[in-house]
Amino acid sequence: MEILRGIDLVVPRGQTLALLGPSGSGKSSLMAVLSGLERASAGELSIAGADFARMDEDALAAARRGRIGVVLQAFHLLPTMTALENVMTPMELAGLPDPRARAAAELAAVGLGHRLDHYPAQLSGGEQQRVAIARALAPRPALVFADEPTGNLDAATGAAIMDLLFARRAETGATLIVITHDPALAERCQRIITLADGRIASDRLTA
Amino acid sequence: MALGWNTAWGIARRDLSARFRGLRLLLVCLFLGVGALAAIGTLTGAIEQELSSRGRTILGGDLEVAVWQRAATPPELAALTALGRVSGGTRMQAMARAGDLAAPIELKAVDPAWPLVGRLTLQDGRSAGAPLPGEAWLAEGAAQRLGVRPGGTIAIGTLTLKVGGIIAAEPDRLGEGFTLGPVVIVAADVPARAGLTAPGAMYRSKYRIALPPAANPQQVGDALKARFPSAGFEIRTRDKAAPGAERFVGRMGEFLVLVGLAALVIAGIGIGGGVSSYLEARRTSIATLKVLGATSADIARIYLLQIGAAALVGSAAGLLAGVLITPLLGKALGSLLPVAPGLVIDPAALGRAALYGWLVALVFAAPPLLTARRYPAMALMRARVAPLARHWRDAALPVGLGMAGIAALALITAKQPLVTLWFLGGSLALLTLLGALGWGLRRLAARLPRPQDPLLRLALGNLHRPGAQTGALVTALGFGLSAFVLLAAVQTSLDANIAARVPQRAPDYFVLDLPQTRVDEFRTTVANVAPAAQVRTVPALRGAILAYGPEGRMTRVADLKEIPEDAWPLRGERGLTYSDGVPEGNTVTAGAWWPSNYRGEPLVSIDEKLAKTLDLQIGDRLTIGLLGVERTARIASFRRIDWDSLGFNYVLVFSPNAIADAPHNLAATINLHDPATRGPLLRALVRTFPASSVIEVGGVLTQARDLLRQVSLAILAAAGVAVLAGVAVLLGAIAAARASRVYDNVILRVLGASRRQLLLLQLAEYALLGLLLAFVALGLGSALAWLVVVQLFTFDWLPAWPQVLAVLGLGLALVIGFALAGSLPLLRAKPAQALREL
Repeated sequence: MEILRGIDLVVPRGQTLALLGPSGSGKSSLMAVLSGLERASAGELSIAGADFARMDEDALAAARRGRIGVVLQAFHLLPTMTALENVMTPMELAGLPDPRARAAAELAAVGLGHRLDHYPAQLSGGEQQRVAIARALAPRPALVFADEPTGNLDAATGAAIMDLLFARRAETGATLIVITHDPALAERCQRIITLADGRIASDRLTA
Repeated sequence: MALGWNTAWGIARRDLSARFRGLRLLLVCLFLGVGALAAIGTLTGAIEQELSSRGRTILGGDLEVAVWQRAATPPELAALTALGRVSGGTRMQAMARAGDLAAPIELKAVDPAWPLVGRLTLQDGRSAGAPLPGEAWLAEGAAQRLGVRPGGTIAIGTLTLKVGGIIAAEPDRLGEGFTLGPVVIVAADVPARAGLTAPGAMYRSKYRIALPPAANPQQVGDALKARFPSAGFEIRTRDKAAPGAERFVGRMGEFLVLVGLAALVIAGIGIGGGVSSYLEARRTSIATLKVLGATSADIARIYLLQIGAAALVGSAAGLLAGVLITPLLGKALGSLLPVAPGLVIDPAALGRAALYGWLVALVFAAPPLLTARRYPAMALMRARVAPLARHWRDAALPVGLGMAGIAALALITAKQPLVTLWFLGGSLALLTLLGALGWGLRRLAARLPRPQDPLLRLALGNLHRPGAQTGALVTALGFGLSAFVLLAAVQTSLDANIAARVPQRAPDYFVLDLPQTRVDEFRTTVANVAPAAQVRTVPALRGAILAYGPEGRMTRVADLKEIPEDAWPLRGERGLTYSDGVPEGNTVTAGAWWPSNYRGEPLVSIDEKLAKTLDLQIGDRLTIGLLGVERTARIASFRRIDWDSLGFNYVLVFSPNAIADAPHNLAATINLHDPATRGPLLRALVRTFPASSVIEVGGVLTQARDLLRQVSLAILAAAGVAVLAGVAVLLGAIAAARASRVYDNVILRVLGASRRQLLLLQLAEYALLGLLLAFVALGLGSALAWLVVVQLFTFDWLPAWPQVLAVLGLGLALVIGFALAGSLPLLRAKPAQALREL
């Protein structure tokens, strides 16, 4: 079964992009392919100069390290690790120097400098998502994906989280791709792509 | 680019709960298995070490030369004294008396040089050597039977001796081997003065020699044998001071190691189940790590480190427990062990136990670990991910390596590699069989028509639903219950064999050293006290087989590099007799018996088994050494001997003209019909025949039975670990299915089921599985027990089925009890609360 068809997309470095579309339109699949979590069965994919189309799963994992950050709707923090350890892990996997200090600084930047040693179960939903943002941005990736990042949060907390995500992105200069159902959230991005039935239905720049 | 081990350990350690949450089944199973093996290895190692390091003390010198029924000749003695310091003496069965009391004893006569190594300790704390002339050191048992204390007197033969002290520790006790009574130590000239060493009397002269440090005892012994080929010397060296004890401990230890390995295999099933459910619960974490950039090699590395850490902790705890429990085991097994081990650390035994544990962990943990590394990162984004197929090809290498490692370790350390090989093959076959049964049961449960009763329907469904633990449960419980049946059937069969045959046919007394001239007086004495008693007498001589085979091409025993396993009559001296007629209970199977009053060429009749082992033919020649003289006879017939009768059974029976001229006494058996005559008969015999010795068969049989009981206790203890491991697997399986069970229970409660009904549901499920497994275990366990009893021990197959079934029922009740106890917490879940958490 073909899920994505004829997708031809170039995202310039530093752009913020919203992927809109109804359930089953192929948003998550597109993100999985773009982020290297899944391999496309055909086509070309180049991210920050690396050719993702010809890599097997393990090579993709290695290529993701330090290049791509992911923020998920259900947070997916490692429950057995503290906030600090959660943020350290991708930097350790990427073999980056000084992961502990960098993780502490990143958590301080998202306002959790006082919660370093708390476990996910001891944090509120908003706090958990802030840890997830710190974890995604700490290795200074070129590209950050956010899959329905506010889907599990109330409106006020969700808005605060998005403020934080956009602010941190601006500071780090990463490319940001947000998958969302929320048109208001999409409007905060520089570009909006709407998917329907696995194809790009519309592609426009916001004002 | 794989993650460095350091970084992997950093992540693994953070992800690992300090209390090993989720890995406890692995921990417990390794603890049990490694602990059992460590205890068994430490215990046997400690005893073997003790036996070999104390060899010189146990033997009482560097070399021992023993001869039957005579003292060393002057040239022989001169040869011995030329080698080093010599201590000589005699050993024999005798009777001791004190007033009205009499007791069979082992008489040990020693010269002033005894003991060459170590000292004798008396109960009053004195350290002593040989007793003074006219005195005796008594073992506690002898003093008790005779009712004497130090200062009292006892009579042996025609001599009266003063009790000089009670023995607390005898340095060379173990080296003396199996005795038929408590020891009494006397001065070297006592047997002769008491009239016990007249020509033909059954005694043994022993000479211990302390060699110069540079001498090699084995070479010295070989040289002695070569110099006096027909002397009938039995030579032992310090490195084989207690060969019987060493062989017993070695074989027992090896057998227990196999039982321990079986426990470890069951534990392995638990390890596999534990690792599998641990990694299953870690699915999200694994996927998250992959999203963060971990490759499958990284995942394998991280979780290998976690599982390795848990395995390390579990096996270390097992090793510690094994070391600590050894002194307790030593106490519990008591008289079964030749020496009591204290707290010992035997690095080799502990290393072996740990290695077995890790290899088993590798074999059973590798498949789930290698499957887990394939959990896709996408699992986080999709609610449903297709279940992962097991990649057997990935696991084949580590599993194969682990299994080869276990087999190699077992075979390298085995003293009987063939038995070990059979055991390993059998275990593998049993595991495969049970695994196939588990698989078949799942398939069958899925295909059976749905029962009307909703609870039964659910119970049946639980056997085959996805994630059901049926396979692990069938294997672990099948193994455990089969072990129950095996042990019960073997034990009751052996008991029945002993009970059914021996007491009815074994004589009550053996009497040794009965002078030929007084046989009529002996019969009269017995008839006066016990008129109904049956008395049998036979001439009793001792000699060694020196050569055998066709005339002119005879094989000399001394030239054999190794004596064949079944040819035990070739080792040392054996009892010999002569007879005019075929002995009672024997059947001639080939050749012909000599006529009575035969006067021709000396003839001999041989046990047909020995004849087969040595490939002897009728007409071949056999040479024996009898009191230092070689005698050759022609083989006239083969006989089948009924060994079970425990009467006089001789491998070699000669025609009277072959050996009757050698000085000898008679031996007698007495079968009493009235137990009340026992005491009076013993007193009458001791009074009338002071130089003869009486052996009470009842006492010997009790000793043998006690030994058997302790052996089975040891086996039971080791098998108990296997059963414990089975219970751990059971509890682990219940825990693994916990989430789906809670869900089921909550839904059923919401739909109106009572707790009682839910409990019944669990009971139905476990009873269904348990009953089926009980039948399987009955079949498998009985088949194995039959192999052990009939093929290995060549006993009759006489299991006590009521007892076997009772043991099986007990095991089943235990299993169901544990299963229900493990399920009770699930029933306590409150529906409203649980629904919020689901």
